[in-house]
Amino acid sequence: MMYLCPAGHRYIFQNLNMKGIHLGEFEELVLLIVAILNGEAYGVKVMGDLKDQSGRSVNISAVHAALRRLEKKGFVKSDWSEATTERGGRRKRLFSITAEGKKALEQVRDTRIKLWSQIPGFSSNLSFS
Amino acid sequence: MNQNRNQPPKWADRFLEWYCRSELLEEIQGDVYELFYVRIQDRGLNVARRRFVWDVLRSFRLSTIKGIRLNHSTMLLKSNIKIALRQILKQKVFSFIKIGGFALGVAVCLLIGLFIKEELSYDKHYDNVDRMYRLIAVFDEDGDFNTQVFLPAPFAQAVVEDYPEIEKAGRFWGGESFRAGNNQVRRQDKPVNSFEKGFIYIDPELVKILEIQILQGDSAKVLSEPNTILISKQKAEKYFPDEDPIGKTLILNDNLQQPLKIAGVMADLPVNSHFQYDFLMTLAGQEFWQGEQQSWLSNNYHTYVMLHPEADPKAVEQDLLSVIDRYYIPNAQAAGMSDAVGYSKQISFRLQPISDIHLYSEDISDTAKHGDIKVVWLFGAIAIVILILACINFINLSTARSANRAKEVGLRKVIGSFREDLINQFLTESVAYSIFSFILGIFIAWMLLPFFNAIADKELTFPWMEWWFLPSLLISSILIGVIAGIYPAFYLSSFRPISVLRGKLSRGSKSLGLRNSLVVFQFTATIVLLVCTFVIFRQMNFILNKKLGYDKEQVVILEGAYSIREKVPTLKQELLQLPEVKHVTVSGFLPVSGTFRNNNGFWKEGRTNIDKGIYGQIWDVDHDYIKTMGIQINKGRDFSIAMPTDSQAVIINESFATELGFEDPLGQRITNGGGLWQIIGVVEDFHFSNLKEDIGSLCMIIRDNPVTLSLKVNTGDMNGLIQQITNKWDAFSPNQAIRYSFLDESYANMYADVQRTGKIFSSFALLAILVACLGLFGLSTFMAEQRSKEMGIRKVLGASVFQIIQLLSRHFLLLVFISLLIAIPVAWYLMQAWLKDYAYRINIGWQAFVLAGILALFIACLTISFQSFRSATADPVRALRSE
Repeated sequence: MMYLCPAGHRYIFQNLNMKGIHLGEFEELVLLIVAILNGEAYGVKVMGDLKDQSGRSVNISAVHAALRRLEKKGFVKSDWSEATTERGGRRKRLFSITAEGKKALEQVRDTRIKLWSQIPGFSSNLSFS
Repeated sequence: MNQNRNQPPKWADRFLEWYCRSELLEEIQGDVYELFYVRIQDRGLNVARRRFVWDVLRSFRLSTIKGIRLNHSTMLLKSNIKIALRQILKQKVFSFIKIGGFALGVAVCLLIGLFIKEELSYDKHYDNVDRMYRLIAVFDEDGDFNTQVFLPAPFAQAVVEDYPEIEKAGRFWGGESFRAGNNQVRRQDKPVNSFEKGFIYIDPELVKILEIQILQGDSAKVLSEPNTILISKQKAEKYFPDEDPIGKTLILNDNLQQPLKIAGVMADLPVNSHFQYDFLMTLAGQEFWQGEQQSWLSNNYHTYVMLHPEADPKAVEQDLLSVIDRYYIPNAQAAGMSDAVGYSKQISFRLQPISDIHLYSEDISDTAKHGDIKVVWLFGAIAIVILILACINFINLSTARSANRAKEVGLRKVIGSFREDLINQFLTESVAYSIFSFILGIFIAWMLLPFFNAIADKELTFPWMEWWFLPSLLISSILIGVIAGIYPAFYLSSFRPISVLRGKLSRGSKSLGLRNSLVVFQFTATIVLLVCTFVIFRQMNFILNKKLGYDKEQVVILEGAYSIREKVPTLKQELLQLPEVKHVTVSGFLPVSGTFRNNNGFWKEGRTNIDKGIYGQIWDVDHDYIKTMGIQINKGRDFSIAMPTDSQAVIINESFATELGFEDPLGQRITNGGGLWQIIGVVEDFHFSNLKEDIGSLCMIIRDNPVTLSLKVNTGDMNGLIQQITNKWDAFSPNQAIRYSFLDESYANMYADVQRTGKIFSSFALLAILVACLGLFGLSTFMAEQRSKEMGIRKVLGASVFQIIQLLSRHFLLLVFISLLIAIPVAWYLMQAWLKDYAYRINIGWQAFVLAGILALFIACLTISFQSFRSATADPVRALRSE
């Protein structure tokens, strides 16, 4: 579909069809962790869980970048917490998953299952715990 | 400190706050702080601080940094740049002159900058450079100072033992004697010789002092055994490709009695080191003649010392004087020297820092090739003058166009421009010009580099990859753009809008005085360079055509006869069979540099311990030497084979005869302490050393010295003759390629530096002329444009083309004339100083000045007439139609 972008007077293309949603592998992991943390997710916490759950240690800046991209895509939203002492009085930006985000995760999962089930000789009884 | 205890590095925090977008800052800063505190607990403060910095750096991403906001000033900058580019494109010829002239200046400066940087970089690479010195002996001969690097053999050892301030000392034996210098080299297992330069004898200790890097071989013990040699990597690869050279043997000059075992391979010495040798033979166990290593009376060794870190070199120089009492005097007395105390007391010592050797060895006699700090200064001065010339052009051309820009300035002011904005606008324009000029200048310099390398005898390259190179060029281009733009910017922005728009501007005549003096400055510099070029070329011509006292034409020199020594007489006879060969002589002593030299004290017979010695050369020659060289005999006779007593005879030159002061020198006898000879002849003085020096005392005796054969020939077909000579040589020495040269060429090579200076001056003069012409061209174009209406009216009223040309040119020619008046004394003074170095020199004379003046006037006329002729022949209707 074509939209008129008023600010720049340029046409932009935005695909609202979910098929075209690109959820990168790392983004998917981060989004899953945000979903697990259920409103308690913020940079350091996500980074820690990522390490614990998947064994991947990444730089904090990578987490921030992923969260910002997810927010831009509308998969997460954020709110400020109360000020805390452990961060020198700074507030946390708490992320939670949106309905769009959940839909995206489901879609990714469904695609995977569909593909897994077509591999000959593999049990279709896959569990996603 | 306390504050730092549990805090991340402040600078990193500030950096984060500086770059991070405000809406992201709290989140990112909070997270990195939290991580920091956690890490202090887990891994300690240092790790936490390091990781904090890393986190901050990693968070520096396109998505987190503040955008460059467009505000008023950046918008103005953008528009200024646009205006500048439009101006450049609008006036193509003018811009070309401006940019081209400036680019030439930049190119010259760049090349000279590279040259100076290279010259200043010599011998700075040692780890202990502040403690390394070369020892220098100063002989005070009644106020006549003779400074040299050569010291007695035991000196180094003695000072290390006696002076705790001197940590290490080492010597080398350079020059052209006892296989030091040039040799024919071959591997023991291969028959073919090749010619190599760069042999010296060296102490193992000096290898360590000079931090020579040993690539192969035992670096602790290298050269400690007698008859071993250390060779450079390059030579190792040449003689032993794909082989381990260690332990292999080299033979010099086919002399199987003295083989050299390779003890090590050293890294090739840096180009910017004064120490340039490829073959280092050990001094361990070496004694050149009986008692040589213990003698305090013969000075042959370059000596280097490494001082203790706390030692004061000035104090060490003073302390070294006690060497005189302790060693020099007792040894001189023991040798029976008449004036032992007097001789020894005239010596004092200096420590020359190793990094000064390359540029500050002008008055010191040694065996290395040097640069000269004077040349560095001269080049630097030329670079600055040419850059100033280019800047002046730039300013000149900018203000010259003021009239054309006046309306623009007026209109801008009326619309509401502030003066600062206009200044900014003009400065931006000038910076834009400057940047374009730099780009073009770098390109020109890059194109000229091979040519420059050839005349400066250097191997310079552009340090593109050095981190400072391009940024510093960019900064200089902006800086010079601003400097050159300041005057035009203030001048142009000062116009009053009302008078400008009413058309009452005084058409740029206000700055006439300034502009005139700029033209005068340019032409003065040009004429000075031209005069210098002429004088240098005339001196060179004088040197090449001077009557030398011997005949250098048609003399072929065959080098490297050392390896066929016993066959040399036969070869000589064979060569004489050729009808074109008139005479052949065998001697290593030739009246050109790079051949054997020595220095001996001479006395009249029986007065050795009474008189002061006369110092002079003693040359080993054969019976045909004087005939071959065409030296004229003034008194007495030549050596003769028919007279067996001639083995005890000597022929001296006029200078020697004068020094000796005999009424009739013939039949008198002289001695050098060893031999005793009877004078049988006196020859006309001939120039056997550089024309910078007076002719010294010299005598010749009959003694076998089979190093070089010199052939006096008479042929119109030199190539054919060389072929015949080569055939003869090959028959005698099949394993060694013939190496020949011509005496006149060797002589010319002695003055290669003069030729080089001449070429450099002429190139710079050419560039200065170009730059000055561009400037003059621009100015005359401007003047012609300004006065086009006047000229139109004059033409209508009947002025001839010639009159108009005259009118337009007169002013500039007057300026050139003034420049000539200023340039003459400056150039005269400079050249007088340069010529002072030569004992034999030309008078400067008036010709150079007349020639330079005429040339400058001619070029100026040509440049101006191009424009004035155009405006003189232009259709007056065109000029008068407008308005």
